[in-house]
Amino acid sequence: MDYTTKLSYQSMHWYNDGLKKAKIRDLSGAVTSLKKSLQYNRDNIAARNLLGLVYYGRGDVMEALVEWILSKNFQSHDNIANYYIQKLREKEGELEAINQAVKRYNQSLEYCRQNGEDLAIIQLKKAVTAHPSFVKAHQLLALIYMHTEQYAYARQSIRTAHKLDTTNEFTLRCLHELNQIRRSRNVKIKEGEKKDKHTITYNLGNEMIIQPVSNTLKDNAGLHTILNITLGLAVGVAVMWFLILPAITSSRQEKANIQTVEFSDQIATQTAQISALKKELDGYRSTSEETENVQATAASTQESYEIVMVMKAHYLANDMSDAAMLEELLKVNPDSLGTEGRKSFDEITETLYPRLCSSLYTTSKQNVEVANYDTAIVNLEQVMKMDEGYDDGGAMLLLAQAYENSGDQDQANLKYQKLIESYPDTDAAKNAKEALDAQNGGAEEEEEE
Amino acid sequence: MLNFEEELKKFQPSLEVEDLEQAVYQEDLTDMTDILREVVEQTK
Repeated sequence: MDYTTKLSYQSMHWYNDGLKKAKIRDLSGAVTSLKKSLQYNRDNIAARNLLGLVYYGRGDVMEALVEWILSKNFQSHDNIANYYIQKLREKEGELEAINQAVKRYNQSLEYCRQNGEDLAIIQLKKAVTAHPSFVKAHQLLALIYMHTEQYAYARQSIRTAHKLDTTNEFTLRCLHELNQIRRSRNVKIKEGEKKDKHTITYNLGNEMIIQPVSNTLKDNAGLHTILNITLGLAVGVAVMWFLILPAITSSRQEKANIQTVEFSDQIATQTAQISALKKELDGYRSTSEETENVQATAASTQESYEIVMVMKAHYLANDMSDAAMLEELLKVNPDSLGTEGRKSFDEITETLYPRLCSSLYTTSKQNVEVANYDTAIVNLEQVMKMDEGYDDGGAMLLLAQAYENSGDQDQANLKYQKLIESYPDTDAAKNAKEALDAQNGGAEEEEEE
Repeated sequence: MLNFEEELKKFQPSLEVEDLEQAVYQEDLTDMTDILREVVEQTK
């Protein structure tokens, strides 16, 4: 076999190796393999293109461009490097941003060498923001963070770098270092905790005595129990006071309100019932009064009939004195009598009453003249019952005068008034008016005095 | 523990666009064939 063919095979072998590594994002391993491939055969276009792509993958865009340009020089046609270069040219702004990021990275390297880590961090942060796949920038940032003991940030940066290039030797060492730091910190914390537990060690003669520090918490266990119970009680009381009691009170109030409403309804119902019963009672009362009136009327009618019948018999027989007959007849209620009864009554009274009126009026005049007012009043009251307007009101005037003279001014005035109203155009009414005017004039004079 | 100064030395400036042309020209393209040819010529 020709040695050139052998070299070509060897180159292809390393190309395949680089391709495998690139596929699992072992970019550093891929770079090593692809460089070897090109050392065996610089004309291996595929290896050179892949090397450029791997560079591009870890953020070394300019290095990638160098490889692709060389590749293009070796084979200007049917070369994928043309496509890559064209793509980069299409996005000039992106290339410019990447270039700026690279410059910042280079600047930060300078800062680091001049102990300006803070400025370097600022530049690198900007660089990775503009060019996130820039592995070297992430690594340098992680290194500075570790140097300044900002391990959390260092871990964050190195993890990003690890994702981009999984087997980079520096990245792996950084991760290992960070893990070591974490472990040592954990151990320190545990030791610190152990120290916190405190064991007192002291020598007594030749013997070392290790004694745990007295735990105040354990020593005061009883006190703490009491405190806890007290606290629990306080919390319980507070819960009762602020949560349960208001609920109970509100439920009670609700019940009371419901009861009040029920009672109000009952009262309203009972009031309505009472009102209805009262109305019913009033109805019964009025009915009973009516019944009593009817009964009284019936009794009066019956009595009147009886009196009229008896008196008619005596009148016809003429065996009874006028005074006795008058006494009985005055008990009669003429309005309650029927046609026949009234006819009989009128028959008796037509002759009897005028005669008796005349007799009693005359007697009364004499009685008044002799100042026997009581007898006069009795007689005249009987006249009034028989014929109120007897002698054109003269009998009523005489009765009023008898009352007035007997000292019963009220009755006298009533009679005067009635006389004026009932028989206005009579002399008696005129006299009655004069009598009343005289009284009023006298009263006014008294008031004036 | 990583030595910051030592590790820092391993970081080299990255290529910028302005350096691209020079980098292309300076690229070492020597391969095994070149070396073998040189060896063969020297043995002759």
